[in-house]
Amino acid sequence: MASTLILLVIGLPWIGALLVWWIGDKRSALQHALAIAFSVASGAAAVVLIFNASASTVISLDAGGVFGQFTFVADGLGVYLAAIATVIGSLAVIFSVNYMHGEKGLGRYYAMVLFFIGGMAGLVLTSNLLLMFLFWEITALCSYALIAFNNDDPKAVAGGIKALIITQLGGIGLLAGALILYSQTGSYDFNQMIANPGLINPQLLAGMAFGCLIAAAAKSAQFPFFTWLPDAMEAPTPISALIHAATMVNAGVYLLARFFPAFEAVPGWKTSVIIVGMVSAFISAIMALFAYDLKRVLAYSTISQLGYMVFAIGCGGIYASQFHLFSHSIFKALLFLSAGAIIHSVGTRDMREMGGLGKKMPFTRVVFIIGALALAGIPILNGFWSKELVLEAGLTNGPVWAYIIMLITAGLTAFYTFRMVWMVFFGKPSEKHVHDAQPAMKVALAPLALGAVVAWLLAGPFASMLQSTLPAHKIHALSTIEIMMEVIKAPATYIALAVVALGLVAWWQRKNLTGIGKAFHWLGYAANNSFGFEAVNKFIVRETQAVAEELRDTQTGLLNWNIAGLLIGLIAVIIILVMGG
Amino acid sequence: MTNIPIIIMLAVLCLVGIGFYALLTTRNLIKVIIALQILVKGGLLALVLAGRIQGQVMVGQSMALTAIVADTIVAVVGLALAVQVRKHHGTIDLKQLTKLKR
Amino acid sequence: MINALVAVAMIICAIQAIRVKKLLTSALWLAGCSAMVALMLYLIGAPEIAVIELSVGAGLVTVLFVFAINIIGDEKPVLEPGIPPLVAWALIILSIGILAYLNLPLLSVVIPDLAEIPMASTTIWNDRMLDVILQVLLIFVGVLGVIGLISDSKAKEINQ
Repeated sequence: MASTLILLVIGLPWIGALLVWWIGDKRSALQHALAIAFSVASGAAAVVLIFNASASTVISLDAGGVFGQFTFVADGLGVYLAAIATVIGSLAVIFSVNYMHGEKGLGRYYAMVLFFIGGMAGLVLTSNLLLMFLFWEITALCSYALIAFNNDDPKAVAGGIKALIITQLGGIGLLAGALILYSQTGSYDFNQMIANPGLINPQLLAGMAFGCLIAAAAKSAQFPFFTWLPDAMEAPTPISALIHAATMVNAGVYLLARFFPAFEAVPGWKTSVIIVGMVSAFISAIMALFAYDLKRVLAYSTISQLGYMVFAIGCGGIYASQFHLFSHSIFKALLFLSAGAIIHSVGTRDMREMGGLGKKMPFTRVVFIIGALALAGIPILNGFWSKELVLEAGLTNGPVWAYIIMLITAGLTAFYTFRMVWMVFFGKPSEKHVHDAQPAMKVALAPLALGAVVAWLLAGPFASMLQSTLPAHKIHALSTIEIMMEVIKAPATYIALAVVALGLVAWWQRKNLTGIGKAFHWLGYAANNSFGFEAVNKFIVRETQAVAEELRDTQTGLLNWNIAGLLIGLIAVIIILVMGG
Repeated sequence: MTNIPIIIMLAVLCLVGIGFYALLTTRNLIKVIIALQILVKGGLLALVLAGRIQGQVMVGQSMALTAIVADTIVAVVGLALAVQVRKHHGTIDLKQLTKLKR
Repeated sequence: MINALVAVAMIICAIQAIRVKKLLTSALWLAGCSAMVALMLYLIGAPEIAVIELSVGAGLVTVLFVFAINIIGDEKPVLEPGIPPLVAWALIILSIGILAYLNLPLLSVVIPDLAEIPMASTTIWNDRMLDVILQVLLIFVGVLGVIGLISDSKAKEINQ
């Protein structure tokens, strides 16, 4: 049962991708319908798979001597991420029916989206490290193709290439980890390594741990690799919602959570993880304060919330981080999709040209405010519960200075969230002609808003599923009521609520605080230049492209040179054979 | 030097070497096909010799038969290509057939 | 003794095939090389393959070459080599040298006498049926390829 479900979850979107591309752009209505059908079917299969979760290997395909067995495991960590990827994927596809109405190249768009959904589901469901690397690269490829979807816009193409290069360079860390695993244990299956980290030589284990940290930081846009995510906002908004908020950037957090029991004993690893998460959260919250582009603010807030998850993993709170991932996917997708509705109707992404849209877009205002409240961590909504769990894990297990910075970041989160809501929906009305969200957009937004309000009720069953299928992670599961009680009783909750209230008050009284604002003027300048990291990343991208141009000269296309290359390869192979004995 | 296999193997290696040298240095499309033929003849000899040494003459011969068929087809299609290239581009110099290169 | 002679003749034919400037002469030297290879195969003890190689290599392929060279035209282009000869020599000597070194154990091998020679037809048609199917497929594909290539020129001539 579980094996067919896994094949459906990964295979249906891929078949859909081929069909949508093959049908061609002339029959766009059929393309829309097919894309929706396949993504919804895959989402349904993933949800059914949740009830069949188990800790044992479900599918095992023998791929020959060097590649080992291609194994798929349907354990708790994997199935819920697969469910998120496919369900939010189907909602984004439904949203695209209106957003991408009349665009050229629809077949390419849907094919890439469906290919991505299948690849992401495969990434979290496999237990073969090499196969995970393959799926990792597939998601990076689809992300690049979709960011640069409007390929006559040079900014979009530049953003896509930057995202590609930075995430690929990080992927090298993952490949190195896979090869180390193979050389030490003879197979790519990481479940045995997680259960028993002693299988690997400690220095190589440390290398693997930091390689995975680099890969995760590059993929999840954490410090110091975070500058590709704001530039990736050139992508169509459903793509930003799906790939850059709810699924692909979670791959890095998933990697860290999956390998945590194996790496927690490596000296300095947990502290590095905490520092990476903390710095990302803090810096991006500051940058979000000064940004005027609506999607850029949301991108910075994504980096910030991912920093929370990484911080939680570093403190050992695996369940807290995964629960926050779950809540964040829902409310961030909600925010991005409603931002998409706004941008689609207003025609610009600059918040200074919006304002007073509340009267003309009532539905969008309601769902956007729900998402914003969840992001800020207001009680009852799911963001509140998960953020409190993260902060509690930080207080009990992590260093105090990290906890204080995360607390300040929570206040900053509230501040920039309300700034964003105010600038878009309240204030002086803009003169632009706007219309409310269109029907398909509403169909996509409503379930997400509902999820933001009630999804935290699933906390208990979620925890018990994780505990039963992940024996190595030592998760201590409580029921939903117990979790609620724990959060309500913890003093950390009230400290955090106080800071959030402080953030609210600061925004409300912002006119009285302009003196402080002027003192931080230099901070605004630094924030707009991403604290110098943008320069570093521009340098990396430029150098990589320069090297690629140099290497192009070796492709002469002349038979003689090709044969010479062949002979050199032959000599190399024979020498290796002779030396190998 | 009365040992037969070593003589034949030396001959095979020389043929392979000559074939590769021609592939490395020639710029004439027809010469490339001739060089390929020489290369494959060396391979043929090696296959049959190996079969003979192991005592399984027939297996070596059937493999050599497949190699002859494949090689002939390559020569046929290659020559047809060369004729067409001459008609369309007016030259069979490899260095000037670079329309696909940016 | 005769093996050595045939081997030397084979190598001389091959060297001449790639050295001469006129393409037609080159094709004829190739035919000579094929004949020598066929002789060598017979001397090893594989007469069936020798016959096939003689008729195909020295016959069919040579005729094809002559046809093609006549159509292409046989001017004598003087072209410098694609790769500097020194580099080519170095690569060849290196690779062939290593291969020769790997073949040294052959010095101790002697060709065994054949006790019983099975029928060629049984081996080819029964044991290696897959090879035969492959060859038929190859010939089919080759014929299609040549038809595709040649028909283009006929259509162009008709249009003009």
